[in-house]
Amino acid sequence: MDKEQLIKEAEKSIIDADKAKAEELAKSAIAAGMDPLEVINKGFSVGIAKVGDLFGRGELFLPELILSAEAMKVAADILNASLPKGAQKRGKVVMGTAQGDIHDIGKSMVVSFLQANGFEVYDIGRDVETQKFIEKAQEVDADIIGMSALLTTTMSGQKTLIEELKKAGLRDKFKVMVGGAPATQRWADRIGADAYGVDAADAAEKAMKLLGEK
Amino acid sequence: MQKIYTRMGDGSVVELSESEVRQDLEEGTKDAAERAKIPPLSEDDLQRLLELYKCPDKSVGVEKGKEVILSYDSGTTKFNRVNVSVSKLQSLQIYERMLGADTMEMGHMDYSYKPAKNIMWIEQPVFEQALLVTIPPLFYGAMPNLGLYTQPDGPCLNPMELLPQGKISEARATQEEMIEHAVRDMVYVGSLMYESGADGINFDTTAAAGDADFLATLRAVEILKKKYPQMCIEMGMSGEFILGMHGELTYDGVKLAGLYPHKQVELAEKAGVTIFGPAVNTNTNESCAWNTARAVTFTKACVENSNIPIHANVGMGVGGVPVTETPPVDSVSRVSKAMVEIGRLDGL
Repeated sequence: MDKEQLIKEAEKSIIDADKAKAEELAKSAIAAGMDPLEVINKGFSVGIAKVGDLFGRGELFLPELILSAEAMKVAADILNASLPKGAQKRGKVVMGTAQGDIHDIGKSMVVSFLQANGFEVYDIGRDVETQKFIEKAQEVDADIIGMSALLTTTMSGQKTLIEELKKAGLRDKFKVMVGGAPATQRWADRIGADAYGVDAADAAEKAMKLLGEK
Repeated sequence: MQKIYTRMGDGSVVELSESEVRQDLEEGTKDAAERAKIPPLSEDDLQRLLELYKCPDKSVGVEKGKEVILSYDSGTTKFNRVNVSVSKLQSLQIYERMLGADTMEMGHMDYSYKPAKNIMWIEQPVFEQALLVTIPPLFYGAMPNLGLYTQPDGPCLNPMELLPQGKISEARATQEEMIEHAVRDMVYVGSLMYESGADGINFDTTAAAGDADFLATLRAVEILKKKYPQMCIEMGMSGEFILGMHGELTYDGVKLAGLYPHKQVELAEKAGVTIFGPAVNTNTNESCAWNTARAVTFTKACVENSNIPIHANVGMGVGGVPVTETPPVDSVSRVSKAMVEIGRLDGL
C-alpha cells in the first residue's frame, strides 16, 4: 500500500470506527518507515475531525463517536510511541472539565487530538475542582492547563482557574487554554486566558502555537 | 459606510457593515439548509432580515394585527432564579397582568417530572388556587430529564459511564430501562395535574438527554392523549436535532437520532402533541444575524411541515437569542419579529 492510500485508509478506519483496521494501518505505517506525525495529521486526525463534524450535524451518534475515538486512541498510541526521542513529546497538558460540568465528550476529543499531535496529556476527567487542575499541573510540571466547559453556569470555572493561578503566583508558570460551547475568543480575552480552541483540531493547533512551535 | 449595531451570539456588541450582515444572513440560512436538508430562506426573506438589522431602532415589533400567542414555559421558576421573592401564584399573576402572557405554566423549582411526582400533594392545591386567581390557560409543566434516572440519582446504570468503557449494548439497555421509568412518572404527574384542572401539560426541554428522552416523551404523550383525548399537550424541544445517545431508537418506524425540527414535529403530532416548540441552539461565535437566519430557516421548515401550532423557543441561547443571563431587547425583539413574519409561526 502506498503512502497516499494508507493515509486515506487511516481516515476511513476512524470514520468507520474500525479499531482493528486502525491498529493494523498504524503498524503498517511504521513498518513502511512513514513519518508517524504525517500519518496522524493527514490521516487519522482528519478522520476524527470528520467524525466530530458528523456528530455535530446529527448524522452520526454517540456510540459510534465513542468507538471512533477508541480507534483513534489505539492508532495514536502506536504512532506516538514510534516518534523519535526528543520529538516524542511536544509538551505536557493537564486537561479537564470545569467543576459542576459532567460533559466530557468535547474534552475527550481535544485530549485525542493533543495526544495524536505528540503531547503528553493528563486527562483529569470531568466535574473537577479548580484546585485539582493546579495541583496536577504542578505535580507533572505541565506546560499548559486546559479547561473545558459546556455550560454558561460552569464556564466561570475558567475565570476562577486564572484567578487562582494569579493568587498562587503561578500564572506565568502555566499557559491556560479554554474551550467548550459557550466559550469564545472574546471570553478567553476577557478572563485573560492564553488561548481559546473552537474545536479539537483548533485546540491542538493553538497548543502548538502556545509552545512556540508554529 | 454606516455600521450596523448588532451582537454576537454571546451578547457582546459588534458593529458590522451592511455587506457583512448580508453575508452572515446568507451563511446562517445555508448552514441550516445543509444540516436539515431543507430549503434556505428566499432572497425576499433575506432582504427582509437585512432591513430588520439595518433598522436603527433599539427594539422592533410586528405590525398591528400580526401579533401571536405568547406562551410562557417554566413561568413560576424564572423570577426566583433571578432572586425575586415571589410565590408561584404571584409569579403567575405578574405574567398575566404585567407581561401579557396568553398561556402560563406552573412548575416546581426542580422542574423535572421525577421530583415533581413526590410533591403532587403540595402542587395540586397550589395549582387549584392558581386556577381561581388567573384567567389565561394554565399548564403544568416540567422536563422529562432522563438524566435523573441514572445512579446515584436513580436506579439505572449511567450510559455516560458505560459508553467510554466501550459497553455500547449495556449503555443502550440502560437507556431503554430509563424510558420505562420516565414514561411512568410523566403519565402519573400529567394525569394528576390534568385532573386538578390543568388546561394543558407541557413537556419542556424534551430530548435534552437524547433520543431516549424524546422517545419517552412521545410515549407519555401517546398514553395521556388516549386517557384524556381533550388534553392540550405542549412539547418544547431542547436543541435543533435529536442527539443520538442511544442511536437506534425508533418511533412509528422512524429513527429518532438526528431528526431536525421539521421531522420532529411529524412524530410529535402523531403522538398527540397539540402545540410544538422547536428549539434552535445559538452559536456564540457567530453574529445575531447569522443565528437568526439559521433559526428562522429551521423554524420555517417546521411550520410548513406541521398541522399543529408552532410556538418556537425564543429565549436565552435558543432561537437566535444570545447566551446571556438577561437577553438584550434589541436581539430578542428582532428574532421575535423575524420568527413571526418570516418563520410564520403561531406563537412564541
